[in-house]
Amino acid sequence: MTVPQPTQEELQERAAIDRSARYPVMFFFTSAAAWLLFATVLGFLSSLKLRVPGLLDDYAVFGYGRLYPVHLNALVYGWAMQAGIGVMLWLMARLTRSRIQHPVALIVAGHVWNAGVALGVIAVWVGAGRAIPLLDFPGWFWPIFAISYALTVVWVIPMFHGRRNKLFYISELYLLGAAVWFPWIFLTANLLINKEAAPVMGAGVGSWYFSNLIYFWMAPLALAVAYYIIPKISGRPIYSYPLAQISFWLLAFLAGWTGFSRYMGGPFPAWMPAVSGAAAILILLAIVATVANLLLTLKGCTKLWEYSPSLRFTVLGMLMLAVYAILAAASSTFAFGKNLQFSQFVAGLDALAIYGFFSMTIFGAFYFIVPRITGAEWPSGKRIRTHFWFSVYGIATLIVATLVGGIAQGGDLAVWDRNFSVSTVNSLAYVAGRSIAWGLIVWSNLIFLQQLALMFLGKGRKSAGPTLIHAEPGEAPSARAAAGLTQA
Amino acid sequence: MNSTSFWKLLGTLGLAFVLPWLFLVVLPYLEQSKAVPTPYAEGEEVGGEVDAYPDRTLQRYGASDYGRQIYAAEGCAYCHTQVVRPTYAGVDRWRPGWGGREGEQGNFARETQPGDYVNEGVAPLGYQRIGPDLANVGHRITTAEEMHRHLNDPKSFARDSGMPAYKHLYEPSPYGEGLVPTPKAEALVDYLLSLKKDQPLPKAYLTGN
Repeated sequence: MTVPQPTQEELQERAAIDRSARYPVMFFFTSAAAWLLFATVLGFLSSLKLRVPGLLDDYAVFGYGRLYPVHLNALVYGWAMQAGIGVMLWLMARLTRSRIQHPVALIVAGHVWNAGVALGVIAVWVGAGRAIPLLDFPGWFWPIFAISYALTVVWVIPMFHGRRNKLFYISELYLLGAAVWFPWIFLTANLLINKEAAPVMGAGVGSWYFSNLIYFWMAPLALAVAYYIIPKISGRPIYSYPLAQISFWLLAFLAGWTGFSRYMGGPFPAWMPAVSGAAAILILLAIVATVANLLLTLKGCTKLWEYSPSLRFTVLGMLMLAVYAILAAASSTFAFGKNLQFSQFVAGLDALAIYGFFSMTIFGAFYFIVPRITGAEWPSGKRIRTHFWFSVYGIATLIVATLVGGIAQGGDLAVWDRNFSVSTVNSLAYVAGRSIAWGLIVWSNLIFLQQLALMFLGKGRKSAGPTLIHAEPGEAPSARAAAGLTQA
Repeated sequence: MNSTSFWKLLGTLGLAFVLPWLFLVVLPYLEQSKAVPTPYAEGEEVGGEVDAYPDRTLQRYGASDYGRQIYAAEGCAYCHTQVVRPTYAGVDRWRPGWGGREGEQGNFARETQPGDYVNEGVAPLGYQRIGPDLANVGHRITTAEEMHRHLNDPKSFARDSGMPAYKHLYEPSPYGEGLVPTPKAEALVDYLLSLKKDQPLPKAYLTGN
């Protein structure tokens, strides 16, 4: 099956859309990558603090209880959300074939967002945090993010509404969903928690927000990217369009019910964690169907994976999404979860969502988008390979160390008369594994930021062919040609 | 795409969200915020001024809300939970001192209930158990002096403790030798000593009428 070649006019139209997106999208991308490096360095430091608690403990800012929330919030609001917003803008513009109309407003909103993250991080760091995961920023911070988000994402909805082509892409559906769901969960969580009227439900709303951020924002965005990049690079239509639609609606109707199983056995009515656990298991249907659908699209041209950086990161991200969904479902059952609850595994699973499936897919989008909007190719295929493998080894080490370490820790705590110190001592090796994992990730992101900064500064390679992972620069005009699939 | 189908689509996306939003989040939140204390029946009194569960006159924080704020600001909840799970979810209740006071008629140990977090703003349920559960730490560490020592030098309690020393909460004494706690440390210790989430439950509360 072949795809019709675009006409000259269409190519010019695409180029015009890319030009209109250049400055705002690159602003979001570059600042996101800078936050990513910052957050991963903090991830490394905080895991080091678990191994060596006495490290620099004369200073308040080096407490684990401050480093970890700074790491987590910078990772999500600094990196993940900004990168996601940038991808959302570009992808919606390209899919609906409309130019980005107000680049200056977007850049202003981006500055507001960055200022919000910076102030929030400083506030947590100097000791004004709330210690509610991902809602750590002090209570009066939410309007900064709400206004900035509204100023950026409000353009996505008219783009979708004013679309000219009749074809309905599944990616558009995911983008639209993410755009409208996020403000709702964000406002609900912040307003209810600020109200402080029901303490236990406040904590429950916090964990509901965390889980919804993953399934209502990160997963839809990652899937929008995957549904765009995989058919685009393989040159094939999606394996099954009805399956894609069914799994979208399945995810949409189930995601909001997740979250309370983090506190199963906690002071909640028993039905709430039970419903959340059931939703997390049923979501497996949606995720497994989606990932299978995407992989079947690639059937027969998996060789592309060796050459195209976008495809390689995206496919890996999708595999991690499946792993995440399986582990999240398993840990919300009593059989598997009661020992893992409150263990290191919690931190590993959260990192798998944010750094594993979401970031990997978004890296895929970066490798696709940035050359198109800057009009230059990535400087080095070798560096892309470094970024890929260090990230993969990092996140794999992290998830294995926290899963095995969590089982060990939970097992120690499940023996009622075993001294608590036993679990601490038995964790030490796994905690060292976490430090190594974050060390690998720091290195991969240093490389990534350097490459992205070169592109931002206009120092990319000027060449007719894209940068591939395993080919000399300029040697092959496309991944398809490099993989020997077409005559290019 | 025409307007009607656009609004239909947005409506369906909204419906997907509004069901859990209403039934899992907003309604339970409102219900809990309206919960009223259950009075003890004749002969159930626990002494003192306390006549109902939860005891809304309970002051956890020494001077105002400060101790709880320090607990949040230092991120204590990232390593310590305040949840005693029921027996089907774990052995928390049997861990010595975790489940609450030793009573005259045996162990009172019980799982935590929503009412135990009254006046706490947002319940610090916690994230991981890098350190022990603190729901009833006020029963395990009973004096301010001991609690200060725990914050300032945790290794003197457990050689393998994974807890950092909170040295910035203490300053050199102006009168020569030793350290004195800052107001932050005093407030935090007040809060920690007050953590006894084991108020005896009235029968009416347990049976629901």
